Amino acid sequence: MTPHRSSNRIPVPGLSGRRPLLAWAALLTLVVLAIPGAPAQTGFNRDLIVLDPAHGGANMGAQIADHVLEKDITLAMALRLRSLLAARGFTVVLTRDGDAALSTDQRAELANRAHAVACLVLHASASGSGVHLATSTLNNVTPNPGAPVRWDEAQAAFLTQSERLADQIATALNRSQLPLVVDRAALRPLDNLQCPALAVELAPLTSGVSGGGSDATPVTDPGYQQRVGEAIAGALILWRTQARPPVMAPARGASTAVQDGQPAGATP
Amino acid sequence: MIPRYQKILFGTLMGGIILMAVILFYEHKRAQDRLAAANDATPIAAPVDSSTESIALDLANDSDGAIAAQQRQLALPQEPSVRARALLERLLAEYALPQSTHPLSSGAAVDDVFLLKLPLTSPESPAARPKESGELAVINLRGSFVDKHPSGVEVETLTILSMLGTLHANFPEITEVRFLVDGQPHDTLAGHAGLLRVYPVNDTTRGPQTGASSFGDPQ
Repeated sequence: MTPHRSSNRIPVPGLSGRRPLLAWAALLTLVVLAIPGAPAQTGFNRDLIVLDPAHGGANMGAQIADHVLEKDITLAMALRLRSLLAARGFTVVLTRDGDAALSTDQRAELANRAHAVACLVLHASASGSGVHLATSTLNNVTPNPGAPVRWDEAQAAFLTQSERLADQIATALNRSQLPLVVDRAALRPLDNLQCPALAVELAPLTSGVSGGGSDATPVTDPGYQQRVGEAIAGALILWRTQARPPVMAPARGASTAVQDGQPAGATP
Repeated sequence: MIPRYQKILFGTLMGGIILMAVILFYEHKRAQDRLAAANDATPIAAPVDSSTESIALDLANDSDGAIAAQQRQLALPQEPSVRARALLERLLAEYALPQSTHPLSSGAAVDDVFLLKLPLTSPESPAARPKESGELAVINLRGSFVDKHPSGVEVETLTILSMLGTLHANFPEITEVRFLVDGQPHDTLAGHAGLLRVYPVNDTTRGPQTGASSFGDPQ
């Protein structure tokens, strides 16, 4: 006895009916949309902040005072800021939480993998007054979907957002009556970061006098660090809702970026 | 009555002191002659008269990030690369003055300035990078200047912008600048501002950068 063939078929919803072609067309459309290569938006994790305490290890940074090094101040500031941000519901990634020596490329790679809503590179100096905010010197570009992003120019697509973030923090610092200088700087790893990014440099708090006078509040002062930290944390709460990711080439992590023909993360 | 052995001891010590003084005086003369020989100021090129002229220096202010053009009367050599070097030395000497708003330590800062016509082409590719025009200035800074430069993002950026702006004001033909330190490429000026890139030369004068929306044109 020959079994009836149709009785062994498994019914597939949408494919067994009067319009199987329509179902196949819909399936095909889904597959095409899922293929990498189509323009996509790079999303932020709006609860995530990357803090990069600059220098570390043998790279000591500036000599702030007799026994005070920049690498220690940046780490202290990062730890303080981490607490303030965590209290406001943020998850904070530090590129270093000890005296580790990391290259600027390693720091950028760590930050780029996080897809943070903001990346802050922390510095300290004995020169100038108040807080210095700096964004990259790159020119703003609209990313070309599908084109590789150069490692040295990764920040270019995010520059508009970085400037808005700097404005946001500058407004908060002004409100806290902290002296401020907003600038652009040719500074690694700012140019390599694929997130709204800026450098925050802490300088002695003076009253209108150039350089650190004897009455200046040093960058080691916990009260001063707390004021700056609270202003930045307050600004980042607003920024969490205001950040707008740029339309980017399909996200492939750091491997999309190239440096002189080498994949990102390769030893220069 | 002084014992004889004490007289001999005293005489020996006196003799030693006199001998040491003579040796010290002799070595001092020798060291002086050696330094004088190293500091040979014999003129190589014939001196030329040059009249003072008005030049613009873009002077930075650490407290507010401003860069202001200020006029100075100065006699400068005519040969362009020597002129550029003298100009930058004068600019950086201003920062060593007591009331400077961007204090830097004194001392020679610029070893040489080389001016190269753009585009830089090789015989194999004469049409390479046709968009470039003007001149590239290669500024060779002294290691001693870099070592003593204050370290910080803003202070280093202001030094570079000040040099670029001063070159732009006095050498409009210079469109790009590269930095060397003691003849070698160097990562940063003092740990922050990058020196490995080519800087475009443009007007860097600006007001206080003390608030939100202070971003000017990218450098």
